[in-house]
Amino acid sequence: MVSKVLVANRGEIACRILRACKEAGLASVAIYAANDAKSLFVELADQAILLEGDSIAETYLNQRQILEIAATTGADALHPGFGFLSERADFARAVSQAGFQWIGPSPNAIEKMGDKMTARITMRQAGVPVIPGEEIETEDEDEALIAIEQASTRVGYPLLLKASSGGGGKGMRVVERPEDLLEAVRSARREALAAFGDGRIYLERLLTGSKHVEIQVLADRHGRTIHLGERECSVQRRHQKVFEEAPCATMTEDIRSAMGKAAVAAAMAVNYEGAGTVEFLLAPSGEFFFLEMNTRIQVEHPVTELITGVDLVREQLRIAAGEPMSCGELHLRGHAIEVRLYAEDATNNFLPAIGSLAVFQPPEGPGIRLDTGVRQGDEVTPDYDPMLAKLIVWAPSRDEALQRMRRALDEFVVLGTVTNIRFLRELCDVRDVIEGTTDTTMIDRLWPDGWSPSLPIEFEDGALMGAAVAESAGLHRQSVSHPGSGEQSGPVSPFMTLKRRYP
Amino acid sequence: MHHQFRTAQGPVEVTVAKQGDVWHLGGHQASVERDGRLRIQLASGASGFATVAKVGDVWWVHFQGHTFCLERIEPGASQSEDEGGLTAPMPGKVLDVLVEVGQSVEAGQTLMVLEAMKMEHRILASASGQVTGIHFTVGQQVQQGSILLEMAEDED
Repeated sequence: MVSKVLVANRGEIACRILRACKEAGLASVAIYAANDAKSLFVELADQAILLEGDSIAETYLNQRQILEIAATTGADALHPGFGFLSERADFARAVSQAGFQWIGPSPNAIEKMGDKMTARITMRQAGVPVIPGEEIETEDEDEALIAIEQASTRVGYPLLLKASSGGGGKGMRVVERPEDLLEAVRSARREALAAFGDGRIYLERLLTGSKHVEIQVLADRHGRTIHLGERECSVQRRHQKVFEEAPCATMTEDIRSAMGKAAVAAAMAVNYEGAGTVEFLLAPSGEFFFLEMNTRIQVEHPVTELITGVDLVREQLRIAAGEPMSCGELHLRGHAIEVRLYAEDATNNFLPAIGSLAVFQPPEGPGIRLDTGVRQGDEVTPDYDPMLAKLIVWAPSRDEALQRMRRALDEFVVLGTVTNIRFLRELCDVRDVIEGTTDTTMIDRLWPDGWSPSLPIEFEDGALMGAAVAESAGLHRQSVSHPGSGEQSGPVSPFMTLKRRYP
Repeated sequence: MHHQFRTAQGPVEVTVAKQGDVWHLGGHQASVERDGRLRIQLASGASGFATVAKVGDVWWVHFQGHTFCLERIEPGASQSEDEGGLTAPMPGKVLDVLVEVGQSVEAGQTLMVLEAMKMEHRILASASGQVTGIHFTVGQQVQQGSILLEMAEDED
């Protein structure tokens, strides 16, 4: 039984889960750090408890404190979202041992898949193809340097260094030449140690020209493990996805079926439960290789929801409560695209930006979904990930979905913080994107010296005129929140001063 | 009315004139709508709405799918140019300092490593030269725009 869910996360994904709880009739508890006191997700929960401490380690990563809150609030289940503690097997274990239902796979499955080296070994044993590479098990830096140097000659250049506990591009380095190897290993180890407390690094051959294609899986306790088709997430910058779609434009029924089978085999190899994603690299030849399995709900889950009609978070809640999954036979319908809106400067190597969301006006209309954790008036701080929102569109065909995305991005207005909206908008006009021939190196290939917008000069004239007119007309003085300011002060009810007369 | 704005290409002077409810700038026209947006008609005939907001001294303008950041220069303000300093591109923490004062460095050499948003960012020498000052040590927090190091560039 699940009746009250503690959401051990923040921001956009906390909002997504809290809303699902509300729709499912489940009570919910949010936890928040002091600097999130005004955040949207805190409002959406039935109950919100302040975490003591300042750093992320003291707050959202503080297992002891989170378990105490779960106990005192009477929660009976815990949803970890993504990031933070979502793939920490020790936490999943502690949650279960404390008597709460963990909304996710078993600690054992998380362990096997979460350690990328163990996952590669497990997958090889299950007959799932993995990328050529070598695992380096040692924790000692000097030993690792020697072992990696030796392995690099066998794996060949260019190669990819990856942190065994890695994710989100952290602790990952592309190495083009042998002379760059040692510095790259040191820096990857340092980043991995800081982010995950584990500096172990392994090597993979860099497969250029491949697509990043992943399969969504669902497994319940009633013996059902299914796949829900693929998502393509090849368009990445700094190894983080920015543009995701389902289905993959170049997918064939044969490859989908083979990949789906491999994904289900991967899930079954670790007795998987709940929602998970098996990531593959798909080579132009149609060959595919296991990359990793994400043992949690993923950022880009909405595109699968839109083409399958399955509410993945509701299924997670259902499966955790011991019920069978509700979806029957699946039919993929239409096309969905998601873009990730970041507070970042696309013209300056995608550097994260901060500022206020003086205006935050998302697009509206048919086929549009916005998943966000912010609203107008919020501040974007350097404390957390700079993702502001996910804009997702659905349309009957891929062409129409792209057209809808262009329209939606043109309507999206964010002022006060630099965002990647324009970059995303111009991505929709890139030939590779239109033709569906994107691969993981596309952004670096198209803009080796950095991206800049294609901007007609007269638009800049228009903007300058806008600023000059706004300043002249005193528009900045009107943007304060009380239109009648100056006339009243103190706690006077406006109704007292209304002189309304009825005939 | 006369205004100066700082743009990516440098300072720009703009003079707008009002006739009735319509503002003019050369052949362009603009009017203020009831919801605070501006309706702008360009000389070319293209027209659209601009959404504007002022944050500090900066006017943010969304027009034709582009977002512009125009800092208003107060009349009489002096124009200072940053020089020689290597500044923090965003707030963060110093992870590593790889050079010492007096050290000669090559263009592109890593001088300092920052951590921000849980990612590493390298501060690179833009030209070869000598390090003349280091203002932060490992573990210190830096603000966006803080001058991290100073360099005297080699003369060619």
